[in-house]
Amino acid sequence: MTAALPLRQSMAWIHGWLGLLAGWLLFAMFLTGTASYFRPEITQWMQPEIRASTVSPAQAAQGAMTYLQRIGAGDDVQWFLYLPDARSAVTRVFEQRSPTSTAPPRPAELTLDPRSGEPVRARETRGGEHFYRFHFQLQLPYPWGRWLAGLCAMVMLAAIVSGVITHKRIFADFFTLRWNKGQRSWLDAHNVSAVLALPYHAMITYTGLITLVAMYMPWPAMVNYKTPLDYGAVAFGIPTERAATGIAAPLLPIGPMIEKAEAVLGAPATRVVVRHPNDRAATVTVYRHAGVSINARLPSVTYSGSTGQMLERSGGTGPALMTAGVMLGLHVASYAGTGLRWAYCLLGLTGAAMVGTGLLLWTTKRRRPGAAPFPGLTLVERLNIAVIAGLPVGMAAYLLANRLIPVDAAGRADGEVAAMFWVWGAVAVAQLARSPRRAWIEGFAIGAIAFAAIPVINAVTTARGLPASLRGDDPVFAGFDLTMLAIATVLGMAAWRVAHLRPAAPVRRPARGVVHA
Amino acid sequence: MQATPQRTPDLGRTATSPRRRLRPAVVPMIARIGTALVGGYVLASAVATLIARLLPVDRAEATSWGMILSFLVYAIAALWSFHEPRVMRVMLGIWGGSVAIGLVLALLGVRS
Repeated sequence: MTAALPLRQSMAWIHGWLGLLAGWLLFAMFLTGTASYFRPEITQWMQPEIRASTVSPAQAAQGAMTYLQRIGAGDDVQWFLYLPDARSAVTRVFEQRSPTSTAPPRPAELTLDPRSGEPVRARETRGGEHFYRFHFQLQLPYPWGRWLAGLCAMVMLAAIVSGVITHKRIFADFFTLRWNKGQRSWLDAHNVSAVLALPYHAMITYTGLITLVAMYMPWPAMVNYKTPLDYGAVAFGIPTERAATGIAAPLLPIGPMIEKAEAVLGAPATRVVVRHPNDRAATVTVYRHAGVSINARLPSVTYSGSTGQMLERSGGTGPALMTAGVMLGLHVASYAGTGLRWAYCLLGLTGAAMVGTGLLLWTTKRRRPGAAPFPGLTLVERLNIAVIAGLPVGMAAYLLANRLIPVDAAGRADGEVAAMFWVWGAVAVAQLARSPRRAWIEGFAIGAIAFAAIPVINAVTTARGLPASLRGDDPVFAGFDLTMLAIATVLGMAAWRVAHLRPAAPVRRPARGVVHA
Repeated sequence: MQATPQRTPDLGRTATSPRRRLRPAVVPMIARIGTALVGGYVLASAVATLIARLLPVDRAEATSWGMILSFLVYAIAALWSFHEPRVMRVMLGIWGGSVAIGLVLALLGVRS
């Protein structure tokens, strides 16, 4: 860059390269992140043995406590209880064991039936948690996946800023989509998907960085606190640490404490943390459900486990912590009801579409009629096929594996995850045997078939198939299967569209403005 | 701007041939990328830490404002690294700015 360029041109140039370098990972992050808006529903579908029950949070917690007192009373230092609600049917429990424990090892994470408090009998699966974790950890070991995802999000932020500067016709682009004009159409599609949902893209990218800000940017905490953990304690309203006394005192029933806390907090409880159970210094911290406020940093009330007295109440944070909490809430959308959740889902898909069309634009812009593609162009085109057409096939394989791997097979949860990556990898390699055009068509077609197969396999292998769920009162299963059919339709249309596309002569140079990609 | 041929930044790719030819501009380009990627982060960290240290509000609040604004600083610094034509100015601005803020922070010390 030896000569000075107008801002719009330098931004157009950097926008193209940023988008290319992070585009494939960003596409995968958008797609799996969009699926994660339905994390509890995906988990419900992946454990068809569990039927939703209507048990109050207090009853579910009391049931879980009875079980935990039986198995872990002697050597657990902390219990985390995630209580069921309208979207999740089970109580999830994590035990933190004393480092001096001599009891035989057992799984730290338990799934309990809210009614009986006993472990549920259901197939092992990661459920929706897998897409959620992949979305920001990219299946890489800690902390590398999170750093890579953060870098991609940072690239996305820079791409949004440079993309906005590149544009001068934001309003006109709302209404501009010229079909079947080669490069011009891809540019229009890229602009429409980017501009229509611009506030969402900017919001979701910035708030995504904020979700892990304490890891990405710990330095401001270093100058104000002894360790970043002290800042975390304030930021997340973690109650004061109270050391165990070593004097035994029975833990009072927590059902009544939760009911009291719900009255104080003004909404149902969602999570309970019990520290030092059966010690005189035991505490019970009850967190409010996320559904009543955008702020995702949940307020809590802490009680003494031995006397039942209220010890402290979190809250009263200033504007900066509230801003951070609201940013977190806007990203994870735990406050959103069904309608807003679907809006989030559609906006997430426009994000995937924006990244996808941007990647296609990179190749379309550089292809010259009659000339053999240069190696970089071939590489980008093949990676585009592998990710845009291949990832959906892998995601379908994950869901299909949930129904096809035997229910009691050992290590089946890992098997489901392996199925996703092996199938995705197989599609990515197999497409090399076909021409790019055929590879696009067949990739989308395989995706369409795989998604259409999900409701069929579900109906064959469980009693909660689409005919039954539509007739009975089973909205999650009916909604899930119908969504799979909708995705299959969209992928089928994509395959049909590529198959019937007449190769248009690329636009050599647009009449106005610059080509930005 | 009307109907002007697009000027591609001079990065070893000519407008007519898509083939990449390496030019002496490679070294400045690497310096630019490194400055944007690493220097941008260092500058964002420095600015965020300075905000956290100096903002006259509660320390949790000041810390949070620094963190929240840091990514904006990073994005702007990284983009400017590619916009500014003189690579020496980029290096001086990003790295020099980071060192200057770092010195101020060293003088201020941690919040008591």
